[in-house]
Formats: sequence, structure tokens, C-alpha cells
Amino acid sequence: MKAIRKIVNSKAFITLVWITVIIIIWEICAARAAEVKRTPENVLPHLSGVIDSLTSDRKINGSQTALGMVLENAGATLSRAAVGYVIGIAAGFILALLMSLSGIIEKIAFPYLMLIQLIPILGMAPIINAITGDIAVSRIVIAAILTFYPVAANTLAGFKAVRREAHELMYSYAANKLQLYTKTMIPACIPYFFTGLKISAPMAITASILVDTLQGGIGLGCLLSQSLKGAMTRYVFWDIVFFSAVIGILSFYIMGLIETLLCPYKRLEKKGR
Amino acid sequence: MAAKVNKKRRSAVQSVVCPLIFGITLIAAWQTGLLHIVLNTDEYVLPYPTRILTIMGENSDKIMMNVWASVQVAVLGLLFGSLLGYLIAIFAATFPKFGSGGLTIVSAFNAIPIVALAPVIINWTKDVSSEAEIRSTFAKIIVVTVVSMASMSVNAYRGLTELPVFSDDLMKTYAAGKLTEFTKLRLPNSVPYIFTALRVSVPGSVISALVSEYFAEYIIGVGRQIRENILIAQYSTAWAYIVTACIVGIVMYAILMVIEALVMKKRR
Amino acid sequence: MNVERIKNAEIMLDNVGMTYDATDGKKVQALTSVTMDIQKGEFISLLGPSGCGKTTLLRIIADLLQPTSGKVLIGGESPKEARLKRKYGMVFQSAVLYDWRTVIKNIELPLEIIHEGKAERRERAVKMLDLVGLSEFANHYPRQLSGGMQQRVGIARALALQPEILLMDEPFSALDEFTREKLHIDLLKIWRKTNKTIIFVTHNISESVFLSDRVCVLSPHPGRLSAVIDIDLPRPRTMEIRDTPEFTALVAKVRNSFEGV
Repeated sequence: MKAIRKIVNSKAFITLVWITVIIIIWEICAARAAEVKRTPENVLPHLSGVIDSLTSDRKINGSQTALGMVLENAGATLSRAAVGYVIGIAAGFILALLMSLSGIIEKIAFPYLMLIQLIPILGMAPIINAITGDIAVSRIVIAAILTFYPVAANTLAGFKAVRREAHELMYSYAANKLQLYTKTMIPACIPYFFTGLKISAPMAITASILVDTLQGGIGLGCLLSQSLKGAMTRYVFWDIVFFSAVIGILSFYIMGLIETLLCPYKRLEKKGR
Repeated sequence: MAAKVNKKRRSAVQSVVCPLIFGITLIAAWQTGLLHIVLNTDEYVLPYPTRILTIMGENSDKIMMNVWASVQVAVLGLLFGSLLGYLIAIFAATFPKFGSGGLTIVSAFNAIPIVALAPVIINWTKDVSSEAEIRSTFAKIIVVTVVSMASMSVNAYRGLTELPVFSDDLMKTYAAGKLTEFTKLRLPNSVPYIFTALRVSVPGSVISALVSEYFAEYIIGVGRQIRENILIAQYSTAWAYIVTACIVGIVMYAILMVIEALVMKKRR
Repeated sequence: MNVERIKNAEIMLDNVGMTYDATDGKKVQALTSVTMDIQKGEFISLLGPSGCGKTTLLRIIADLLQPTSGKVLIGGESPKEARLKRKYGMVFQSAVLYDWRTVIKNIELPLEIIHEGKAERRERAVKMLDLVGLSEFANHYPRQLSGGMQQRVGIARALALQPEILLMDEPFSALDEFTREKLHIDLLKIWRKTNKTIIFVTHNISESVFLSDRVCVLSPHPGRLSAVIDIDLPRPRTMEIRDTPEFTALVAKVRNSFEGV
């Protein structure tokens, strides 16, 4: 009895219940769509249909299965998103570091850092594509710009959150600037830094897919547009929707996982004392 | 002492002058063509600021029409999404056991790329109206709603549950009912959290409005105009819309700041 | 100032004063002309209500603040020279332990700063941890410790550089009474074993009487040294000493020496 109650009260169980509820609602709607629509897969396909399309070995474009096609295009999109993500992280971290080191740099950069957040970068995707002239480069640039702000802002907040006593402690040891940063400031800002990483990981992926849709070629977004236009079965579209949703959510959790691996003390906190 | 006051004043002046100098330098580099060399592009793809401003002046009527279409979508979506998010938060706070698990799901929605979301929703709303303009607007508003919902529900839930220490015990000593506890304690406590959510979702609503326009049936909106003009290689016009989009984003955030200052003033 | 004073005193304060600029342009006297000598190995308390300048005085000695008048000498040197030579260790109101370091690594932190070798670092840290009685918690993280244990780790870290002086800024004020009384005994033991000069800031009268050789009473508006009271209770002091009439009399004497509170 006790064991059952423990399972029922666990977080995983509750999440599972919610997922089941969502699946049931989805299937009811899909059944309704199947009744009234001529092409129900355009509106809402049964989940079994989506899974079938991923597992079937039928060649869609003559040479590839749906899954193979999605994976190949995902590789092109995600690898660019990852490169842009890493560049954005590095740039964001370095700017936060410079802003923390120099008052003048902070004063110059701070208002612009705020502005970047308000500018619809994704809306600028087409023009960045036009300037760089290369879709692969555009993907990297836009993913980097989108990653940059959350990382820089959160890391800077982390540097600012270091308590005055910690500064004074290092001062009392007559520690130099390098030691202040390597021993105190940087380790202290790691949780904030990861907050930035968690926010921007799904954004980098979104950006990369969006840039794809601007131009033909290879990439998840291109595939998505083609499927929407009817160039191939609509199930490819649904495959991509699910795939990108899963990847987006996964990217968030992977960052959280890396954080707990890097910071064993965080793990203790979660366990509770 | 005088030196110290001076130092403070100098620092305040610096924080205005320094970014200003930087901005002016950047625009000057752009206008003189230096920026084109750095970015390795020409004045056709990246027109001079003066040219962009001229275009904006010439097409102001058309631009305003598109701004109106985008702002309408962003604001309505933001309102519906925030309202819905707050209701979800109330639900989650009332039934904490299943509610917090539901919030995990809602915040997971946040990680779904809008590019995947927008076409799906546009598909679903095909039957709403026989007029493409109305059903497109409807679809776009729903996209913004979904995007704004997540940040509000997560933040409002925190505002409704992270109460000052012992304040809920205090309410109990008054033998206050659930409703009284909600209106006197939880609701006011959540106000700052609502603004935290809006600071994220206001820029988010503008971005998702622009992106959903890409996939919409009816061609209107600042975001769509950027894309359409690039497709026909009208880069100056595209830039005029980009500048407009930036202004829209900044103005909407500024309005939020003013509202926040007015609402929060009484609290300090 | 005479040569004799410089020779004898570990810490010498001469007419030390501190004036702040308030936001309205007025001057606030946080501290006015404090003069006193602190001998080597002495346990001194700086006692007073908030706003009396006791923390300001400690921060001046620690070179965290520059006095606007007067002079401070630590072993004949300026506070800055003393700091650069790591002559003092600092203990704050909260332990300021680093979450990401284990207890032993926290104690090693100052030794890393002075580029001590790895083996020596560990050896010294183990010794310090033993001194504060927390050997078995070496590989715990700070968040797993109680407030009192955290503060003991803070003390061990302050002692790791083997400074001659320990500056303590209300170190036990956030702890409950039971933990605090236990730490008083522990601190006195550590003090006897290591023979440091301790300057201890507090607003707790009985705490200052129990611990100190001398209690420096500071009064606010303006912050000033209003009395220095010798505590001639026998050492080593035990819990029971608090119940003696001598202790009660000293507490009363200290309390009566406040001005304008």
C-alpha cells in the first residue's frame, strides 16, 4: 500500500499522467479530424500514423526513408545550430567578463545588451541571410546572436551576485585579479551561466530551423517547407514537428544535466538534506 | 567630500555619454561605408542609414498598416496568453500535487520551436473564417498566445506560492477562507512576478508575431514584409521594416516599463 | 607617537577617525579619534549598538577602509603592508564558504592563493580542521553543515595562513544561543592553543565579557570609544563562570558605561 502511494505521489508519475491525458486528447481530436476531413493528416494525424511514418522502410524520395531524411537534414541544421550556440556562449561569457572587469566597457555595452533583447532578431533572419550570402553561415550567425544575450546577461548577473564578503575575503588574502576570478567569481557564476545556456539552447535550434525555411537546400526547415507545400507526404512535416519539439526540450534538459555533473554540490541540494 | 560627489556625478555622465559615443561611431561607420568593408557587403544589401530613413518616410502609410497588423497580433496574443497562463497558475496553486506537474509540461512547451508550432496552428484554424485575412490573424494570435502562456504560468505560480514567511499562517489565524487568502495575500504577492513574466513575454510576443507571419496565408505584417521584400531584392525597403520592427519591440517594452513603474510605485 | 608604544603594541590606533559623506551633502562622523593599543596575544572585544562604528574600526584595521584621520600601525606597519603580508585572518558574520568546494578545499583556498604546494596545503588544512574539531566532515560540502559548523570552518580557513591576528566581525550573531555558547568555549580553546591576537566585534554584552581580556565600549552619534573595561576573570573560562557574581558585576559595569544610547 505504502509503496503504491509513494509511486502515485512521485513527480515522474504525475508527469506521466499528464502526458497520458495529452495523448488521449490528441487521439480524440485526431479521430474527429479523420471523420470530417478529406485529408486528416493535414490537420491532426493519429500518433500511430506519425510513428508508422518514422519506422516504415518505405522510400519517400526514391532513396531515403522518412526517418533517414529527417535525420540527415537534422544533422545539417543542428550542427550549425551547435556551432552558433558555442560561438554565442563564448562571446556572451567574454563580454560579461569584460563588463565585470571594466566599468567603462560595462557602461558602453549595458544599454546595447538590453536593446538586443528587444530587437526581433528572428525577424532579421532574411537580411542576415542576404548579407552573409550563405545559409550555413546565416544559421551560425543567428544562433550565435540569439544565444549571446541570455548567456551574457545571466553571467553578468552571476558576477554581480557574488557577495561583498567574498570580495573582501579575497582582498584580505591579497589575492590578485586573476585569482579573484578563477577562485571566486567564475565558479560562483556557473549556476547563472547555465541558466543562460538552458534558456538559449532551444532558441538556437529554433533559429536554425527558421533560417532553413528561407532558402532551399538541406536542413530541417527546408524539409518542413517542402512537406507543407505538398512536395512530399505530410507525415514528414509531423515527424519534424515532433522531432524538433523533442530536441528543443532535450537540449534544455541536457544543459541541466551537464550542470549537475559539473557541480556536485547542486546534486546534494536537489536530494534535500 | 566634494571629490566624492563629483566622482558620482562623473560616473552618471559616463554611463550616458559612453554608450552614446559608441552608437554614434557605429552609425557613422555605417554611413561612411566602413561597416560595409568590415562585414564584406555592399550598400545594396546594407543600405546607408539615410537611405533607410528616406524609404521609411516615403512609405509611412504602408508601414503603419503593417505595424498595426503585427502589433494587434502581438498585443492580443500577449493578453490572451498571459490571462491563460495566470489561470493555469491559479489551477496549479490550488491543486499543487497535479498542478506543478502540469506546469512542467507547460514549460516544456516553451522549448518547442515556434517554427514547428506556427504551421500546425495555421492548419487548425483553416475553418475559422472564409476570409484569409481573418483566419490568418486568428492563427497568428494563437501562436503568440501559446508562446506567452508558458512564461506567465511559471512565474505567476511562483508568485502565488512563494509567500512571505508565516503569511499563510497569519491568514489561518484570521480563519480566512481560500478566496480571502487568494485576494488578500496570493494575488497581491504575485504582482511583481507578473511583471517578471511580461519582461520576457513582451519581446517574445513581438518575435513570435513576426515569425508566425512568415507562415501565415495572408501577406501582411512587419515580419512578412521583411521577407517578401528580400525575395524581390528590395533590400532598402526590407531594412526599413527591420528598423520598424526594432522600434516596435523597444516601444512595447518601454510601455511595459512605464506601466510597471506606475503599478509598483505604491509598493515602495 | 613614542617609540616605546610602537615597540610594545601589536596593533596601535592613534586618533583614528572616519567621516562619511551622506547623500544630502552633510558629513556623518562614523568614528571620532579612537586611540588605543592592543598587545600581542590579547583578546579584545569591540562592543556597541549598531551605528557606533565598531565594524568601521575593524574594517580600518583590515585595510578595507581608509581612515579620514589618524593612524593605524600593525606590528609597526600600515594596514596595507600587514594585509599584503597576510598578517591577519578575517571571519565574517556569515561563514562565506564556497558552495562548490568541499570543507577541506575551502580551508585550502587561502593556501592556494599564496601558491603553497599541494601536499603542504592538504597537511595544513587537515591540521586546521582538527583544531576546530571537524575532521570527519572534510569531504562534505558547506550546505551539508549546520550554521555553527560552517562558522567553525570559517575560523579554520582564517587560521590556515597562520596569521598573527584574527579579525572577527560578529561571527556568532546569526547562531542560536546554545550553539553560540559552545563556540565561545571552542574559540577560547583555539585562541589558547594558537596564541593569536583576536579583535572580536559584537553587540552582545555577555559574549564580550565572557571572551575578552578587555572590552572596548563604543557609543554612537558620533561613533566613539567611550570606555575600555578590563575583564579580570580567571582563565581558562568555563560555562559556569557566567553564573558567578563577578561575571554579573562586570556585565553591569559594561552596560553602565554606554553613553547616549
